[in-house]
Amino acid sequence: MATVVLKNVKKIYPGSTEPAVHDFNLSIADKEFIVFVGPSGCGKSTTLRMVAGLEDISEGTVEIDGEVVNDLQPKDRGISMVFQNYALYPHLTVYENMAFPLRLLRNPKMSNDEIYERVTNAAKILGITQYLTRKPKNLSGGQRQRVAIGRAMVRDSKVFLMDEPLSNLDAKLRNQMRAEIILLRQRIQTTFIYVTHDQTEAMTLGDRIVIMKDGFIMQVGSPTEVFDRPGNLFVAEFIGAPKMNTFMAKLVKDEKDYHVECFGEKIPVTGEKARELSEKGIGTQTIVLGIRPEHMVFSEEPKPGYIPVEVVVNEMMGSEVHLHVTTPEVPEGAYDTLTEAEARSRDFADEQLLLPGGKKELIIRIQTINLTDKQRAEFVPGKKLYLSAESRVMHFFNYQKGKLKTNLLYGPGAEAEASLAN
Amino acid sequence: MASAMSQYELLRYGKAKRFGYKFVQFFKSLPRRLLNLLIKLGIIIKNLVFGIGRFCKDVVMTFVRGTWKTRLTYVVMGFGNLAHKQFLRGLLFLAFEAAFIFYMIFAGGYWLSQLPTLGTVKVHTETQIVAGKEVPTTVYGDNSFKILLYGVLTIFFIVALVFTWWLSVKQSRTLDQIDEDKKKIATDKDDLRGLVDANFHRTMLALPLVGMVVFTVIPIIFMILVAFTNFDLNHNPPAGLFTWVGWDNFGQLFTWGGSKFSATFGEILVWTLIWAFFATFTNYFLGMLVALLINKKGIKFKKGWRTILVLTVTIPQFISLLYISKMFGEQGIINKTLSDWGWISSPIYFWKDPTLAKITVIIINIWIGIPYLMLMVTGILMNIPADLYESAKIDGASPLQQYMKITLPYMLFVTGPYLLTSFTGNMNNFNVIYLLTGGGPTNVRLYNSAGQTNLLITWLYATTVSDNQYNLAAVIGIMVFIVVALISMIVYNLLPSNRNEEDLA
Amino acid sequence: MANNENPNRDLTPMENLERGKEKRGMGIKTRRRISNTIAYVVLILISIIWIAPFVFLIFQSLEVSSTGWSAHVIPKAWGFDNYIYLFSAEANFNRWYFNTFVIALFSCIGQTLMQIMMAYVLSRFRFKLRKPLMNFMLILGMFPGFLTMIILYNVLKDLGLTQANAVPGLILVSIASSGMGYYVIKGFFDTVSKSLDEAALIDGATRGQVFVKVILPLTKPIVIYTILTAFMAPWGDFIFASYIAFGSSQGYNVAVGLYQWLTVEQLPYHYTHFCSGGVVVSVPVITLFLMLQRYYVEGVTGGAVKG
Repeated sequence: MATVVLKNVKKIYPGSTEPAVHDFNLSIADKEFIVFVGPSGCGKSTTLRMVAGLEDISEGTVEIDGEVVNDLQPKDRGISMVFQNYALYPHLTVYENMAFPLRLLRNPKMSNDEIYERVTNAAKILGITQYLTRKPKNLSGGQRQRVAIGRAMVRDSKVFLMDEPLSNLDAKLRNQMRAEIILLRQRIQTTFIYVTHDQTEAMTLGDRIVIMKDGFIMQVGSPTEVFDRPGNLFVAEFIGAPKMNTFMAKLVKDEKDYHVECFGEKIPVTGEKARELSEKGIGTQTIVLGIRPEHMVFSEEPKPGYIPVEVVVNEMMGSEVHLHVTTPEVPEGAYDTLTEAEARSRDFADEQLLLPGGKKELIIRIQTINLTDKQRAEFVPGKKLYLSAESRVMHFFNYQKGKLKTNLLYGPGAEAEASLAN
Repeated sequence: MASAMSQYELLRYGKAKRFGYKFVQFFKSLPRRLLNLLIKLGIIIKNLVFGIGRFCKDVVMTFVRGTWKTRLTYVVMGFGNLAHKQFLRGLLFLAFEAAFIFYMIFAGGYWLSQLPTLGTVKVHTETQIVAGKEVPTTVYGDNSFKILLYGVLTIFFIVALVFTWWLSVKQSRTLDQIDEDKKKIATDKDDLRGLVDANFHRTMLALPLVGMVVFTVIPIIFMILVAFTNFDLNHNPPAGLFTWVGWDNFGQLFTWGGSKFSATFGEILVWTLIWAFFATFTNYFLGMLVALLINKKGIKFKKGWRTILVLTVTIPQFISLLYISKMFGEQGIINKTLSDWGWISSPIYFWKDPTLAKITVIIINIWIGIPYLMLMVTGILMNIPADLYESAKIDGASPLQQYMKITLPYMLFVTGPYLLTSFTGNMNNFNVIYLLTGGGPTNVRLYNSAGQTNLLITWLYATTVSDNQYNLAAVIGIMVFIVVALISMIVYNLLPSNRNEEDLA
Repeated sequence: MANNENPNRDLTPMENLERGKEKRGMGIKTRRRISNTIAYVVLILISIIWIAPFVFLIFQSLEVSSTGWSAHVIPKAWGFDNYIYLFSAEANFNRWYFNTFVIALFSCIGQTLMQIMMAYVLSRFRFKLRKPLMNFMLILGMFPGFLTMIILYNVLKDLGLTQANAVPGLILVSIASSGMGYYVIKGFFDTVSKSLDEAALIDGATRGQVFVKVILPLTKPIVIYTILTAFMAPWGDFIFASYIAFGSSQGYNVAVGLYQWLTVEQLPYHYTHFCSGGVVVSVPVITLFLMLQRYYVEGVTGGAVKG
């Protein structure tokens, strides 16, 4: 029942010069479920731990419910937390584990009756009543996780912190617990900060998602926002599975319309997208083009605007098929808007964008139901296909050497803009 | 080998060549490492000098810019705290200052003034007039021992005062700042609560650290200083005075050939190293062998065998060692039994012949050490993942190969640090040598007729307790430290298992 | 043992395994039986070598000898005379025994507390002087501890804690700098996940409560190991005790006292007394050890791996 505001929060670990978290600004509304997501080492856990009071805040302030908590001990911040490895006290029973925070309360002290009331109540919600007398080592991973959540629940805390709570569980249990967290959230109306490296968890749980990389916020937005309008190439590739196909292309402005040139083919850009591009006054330039695997369309016959590709791997996932295909070589002079040096720079090769003469592996995701039996049998390595996409599913990112590749249309997002300055 | 090979290129060579390469590289890198060390030292000195400079500047600037409260704190420690209602801290600072002033006036000043000479007034007889008669009485003069000890203590006290004084000034400065920012100042109650919370580590460290400083640090500094005096039997307070002699004692040690002392030191040092080597490695490998034997598949009563061996560890060493020492004596059970059986006609002098004594000591040490090693090795053996052996079996490794390729490397990796501490521990293994041989057999060729199985540490004991040559004992002690430190440094740098302590958690 | 003739060179590992099985077939059992028999013989020999001195000790302690010297394995005359002498007023052994017990009791409590405090702080807290402090203690540990004895003796003498009053002096000395021996316990603390501390902090515990309610209960084995070793040490402590209690039988511990009986002058009269004394000293230590063997083994292995 509280807002959390982080202002210019920065973390520099002792002995290191590079900050682990740069200038983090975020305002979390009351009862909001916010998710920090990013690859390991992006600073998401560090930020959470600064809110919890487990790490010192090097610069900036953290406010909980309007009060600056920088100098408060964790116990005085009105938070509870669920840890990745559960952190259950091995020498205490499940009941005592859950009662632990209550027994530590002073002014007023909580009576045994009330402790019993609260613990059993939480246990009932989580379905662990029959395990109350057991020690944690006699529980399965899922049960331990429930106990950890229960321990965090019994106290009326203002903010509920979760640090990768599901990452130690197997895939099936993870899905189940994810659903339970959604239910739990509806039951205990409070502010949640949830850290994960799994974009699926982030998309399904969060009201808003904070995507982080190397200590910078890349984008903040609702799941729909970050999926449909990724602010930059990093977000585009991070959100969605399998990840978005991205490759170098040339965006060309005709008299009225636009088209993209890639792998020697011209794919027209029309309609809404073209209008948006021209409103922004975007001219001919080299770009990074992104198309999600599920948005690719294919043809078995050559067509204008369709890139010829060859199947290398066919992954049958059940309800859908993932085809890995290779593109033809990039023709010389494809990026004539760049200088030769720029095109051959290290940065270019490192990010596996494309040098002239190179090939790229793409993934197409097709609903199994849309394929005929014949097609299913024929789409084996070596099969020739022709790929394209509608302009409304295309994402355009500007290509700037050594810089964040921001979305041409929607910009980097206000948060990433600040980090771009660095 | 012109340039350093990459780790991967090395892979194509055989083991011997690879080791040789690394060996050569290690020595090649020595000059560079030494240089780095010097550079580091330089940086430390530079930082120290600059640090002192910054400190002085800070002291002045704080005074210039500070409020009157802080300025007053320069003279009256703790005033800043008192002025901000931190009575507890303020009074503690003040009490410390008062105690210091009191001590310096009534005692510290005297000890400090005597420190350069360590006392000048000897014990002498004075004629005193008692009841109108002249009576000669013995008057004790200065006590060099006490002067040195309390001199060192006084210096410690002064250093401590400078620290607390600056701490008090800084706290006052911080409090002023907090006041200016209109933030809350911690009350006495907060301070007390902090002792079990935010500052819990200070609370917990206080007692162990005070104990360590008083009972280890100060004595060691004292003894290092003694190495520069002539504190021995002839200069033994309170009857005699001792005084500073500079590097004379070390000079004795390093006049090669000239001094008996240096020859004796050399001989004992060599034996100490030989002993430590054999004591460590015989125990290590035989202990491992016994452990493997007990853990062999199909052997029953594993726990029973183990307990039999371990029982011997629990019996206090002085009993088992003294008893065994007598067993091997001229009249002891061994000689008696052997002559009863008619195997020998005259007793074997286990403790009189230097070579035999040394061998016997090493063998008995095996008896002492194996159970301990066996226990330790058993524990580690159980931690070796079983699938390592399974995969080795599938690859066709024989039991011997399995031992050489899996067990031994694993053990060496895990117990590397243990081997090091065990080696230095054996160098200082007082009990085994002293209780078995007492350092004997003695030899008049050596300094003060030192015994030939003496380790440096037992020699140190004899030099102190029997010969009362405290100054030389201090020198030996310092040399032991240097040898141990050198070995540790070299081995530690070569060890593969320099693990990060954070990795364990 | 497996492939002595080596025709299997060119076979794949799997085939190799199959062939090995066929070839050994029944041989494997016989071979194991032979090797096990050898192992048993060696183990029995080892056991005899390790146990023999103690059996001799017990036998000789039961020998009634007019002179006090004995060199027989099997006593000529059996009896408890030595034990009777031991506890008689003449021998002063009671006093030594009592001294040692008091020292062991107090120093095991004190040492355990000091070491646990030091180990906990160094394992759990990260403060600026932590690394320097650890290195400093490492370097201090390289000085022979004996060096400090001369000065400690003089200081204790000034305080009146030597000779007849050696017991409190010895306790003080053994406890005071024991914090430096924190390594084994710290190694154990390091294995307890830090997120337990963090969870407790968030659950509302102070640092002190974290220590008492979470860490201590979890580290029971190592605490018992520390108590055990600290209790056992004074029974064998010779070097320091002999120096501090020098010349006053009232202040001896058992080690110093019994050692006096083995000096050249005393040896012919007190040898069998020494044997009985040794037995009496060993009994409580062994009993305690057998009761807590599990923890001891855990401590030894843990100490070696993490030390």
